[in-house]
Amino acid sequence: MLAASWLLSPVSVAPNRIVAGESYGLVAAIGWPGGLLVTLLFLAIGGLAIAPSRTHYYAQLGIVTLALLLMPFGLMVAGHWLIAADLPQARLGIGAAYWTVLFLLMLCLVELRLRLGLSRLWTTLLLGIVVGAWLVCASQWLENLALVQEFQARDQQFYRALVQHIALVSTAVSVSVVAGLILAMLMRRYRRLQKVSFALLNFLQTIPSLALFGLLLAPLAWLAANVPLLAEMGVSGIGTTPALIALIAYSLLPMVRNTYIALEEVSPDTLEAAKAMGMRASQRFWQVRFPLALPILLEGVRITTVQAIGLTAVAALIGAGGLGTFIFQGLGQAAMDMVLLGALPILVLALIVDASLGALADVLRPGGH
Amino acid sequence: MRSSVHRSQQVGVKPQWMRPACWALLLLISVLGMPYLDAIFRWVEPNARQVIYSRAEFYTLLGRHVFVVGVAAIVTISLGVLAGIAVTRQWGRDFLPLVGQVASLGQTFPPVAVLALAVPVLGFGTLPIIVALLLYGLLPIVRNTLAGLKDVDASIKQAALAMGMTPWQVLRRVELPLATPVILAGVRTSVTINIATAALGATVGASNLGDPIIAGIVNGNMAYVLQGALLIALLALAVDSLFDALQQRLDLRLSSS
Repeated sequence: MLAASWLLSPVSVAPNRIVAGESYGLVAAIGWPGGLLVTLLFLAIGGLAIAPSRTHYYAQLGIVTLALLLMPFGLMVAGHWLIAADLPQARLGIGAAYWTVLFLLMLCLVELRLRLGLSRLWTTLLLGIVVGAWLVCASQWLENLALVQEFQARDQQFYRALVQHIALVSTAVSVSVVAGLILAMLMRRYRRLQKVSFALLNFLQTIPSLALFGLLLAPLAWLAANVPLLAEMGVSGIGTTPALIALIAYSLLPMVRNTYIALEEVSPDTLEAAKAMGMRASQRFWQVRFPLALPILLEGVRITTVQAIGLTAVAALIGAGGLGTFIFQGLGQAAMDMVLLGALPILVLALIVDASLGALADVLRPGGH
Repeated sequence: MRSSVHRSQQVGVKPQWMRPACWALLLLISVLGMPYLDAIFRWVEPNARQVIYSRAEFYTLLGRHVFVVGVAAIVTISLGVLAGIAVTRQWGRDFLPLVGQVASLGQTFPPVAVLALAVPVLGFGTLPIIVALLLYGLLPIVRNTLAGLKDVDASIKQAALAMGMTPWQVLRRVELPLATPVILAGVRTSVTINIATAALGATVGASNLGDPIIAGIVNGNMAYVLQGALLIALLALAVDSLFDALQQRLDLRLSSS
């Protein structure tokens, strides 16, 4: 009974205001019929939550999906209502209540998935449909939305930044995966190295990312100025090189820690059995220890990647490019929609990576499915 | 690790407070003495017009930095521990997966993105960075509170109930004291991460120790960056060793009683 009352409380607050532009109320934005529809939908979710059962959960799932699908239409109606035809420059901003509703609906979706025990595939499919509908709406009918205008003004730039961001993250992560694996293997052999490197990597984490980016500027600029070979290779004070070095430095700690723990935690009994079966040392490592360690190792990759996605945004400050450029340019010009253009994809990227690597780890877990 | 605990047990309680005191003293000295270190930083940045960050006093920046991290820590600790307690009670058990989800979601959101998203709603200044730190610091505390409370032996709880304690007394006098070391470890992780993350606040106009770093990057003045980084690292080390000492003290108390 109390089980799902969480579904009730947040939505009862949420439906009363969908802010549009200069803060219009829900009714002003989508009219009485729209407001009624939203309230009804949320009441239905809450009502179904009072008596939890499997069929009710499925009904809720349907309503939540419907609500998600309807959200861009709400914006369209609001845009049609509030923006006079003689003002082609007017744009529609998305308000706090809209984001809250969106967030809560997503949360409902996650919770329902857990309760129903749906597989990831179904959720992905469902979300895919919703996102697809949004994209179609955004490209076709939402041209007075500020975010869309911001995007259309610099779509080339946006794609370039996105690719750059992903390239930086994947380079940093792949280097630190390899380096982390080597370091962890060395640590298992030389115990003294383990203490020293953990102390060093822990210390690195206490330096704020911002500072590390800044501190690398000077020595690299000096190197580039004095060693022509390095300068030819593209090393310079600002831009990609210091960003990559700092990203790798930060990625190493979670990577090495998880790799080390993963390799250490394989049960000695299993290894003993493998030995008894006549496996050689290298066989034992690659065929027994490594596959068994893989899920925890992937957990490390997941943490590292999510962290690197966020850090790369900071790297824009030293001219490394990526989506952070929009954030800091937008902050500088107090153009909040431009900030959104940078921040939203970063958020989505982090969530996608988190979910997909989590799913991969689940699949690889021995006995998992 | 074990040997150091053993040693401090033999020597007594005093020495464990030495390290945090040393770091704090070093921090204090460098905050107050920074303006006099002109010569050293001149060596780093010989051509700059000015080598000591002077737009604000270092102790003001340090104070604001500590304030931001402190406010965020107080709110995260109360929220995280309360949520952790609530979902381990009988009546709140249904919320357990949800709380876990929300907490780990908070850590998935990159602080920069949260910061950027919070600015349109909350405006420039200190508030957005506090929100970002809140979200980012919640996971370690919630996770450790849950782990700590779950690890309390069920038979101990049964015994306490059998002695006639009310559930509230069991929580306050049995479960929480036993879970405190684990919760404290979570708080330590959360606060240490946030000390470094708070520097990001300088990009949205919250003036703190991140300020010299940003100013240094914008003007290409390494000396500024160094000053900001040095102070933040010292602050992090001081706080971290303070928590270390607290943990050791707790261990001592638990093992002696």
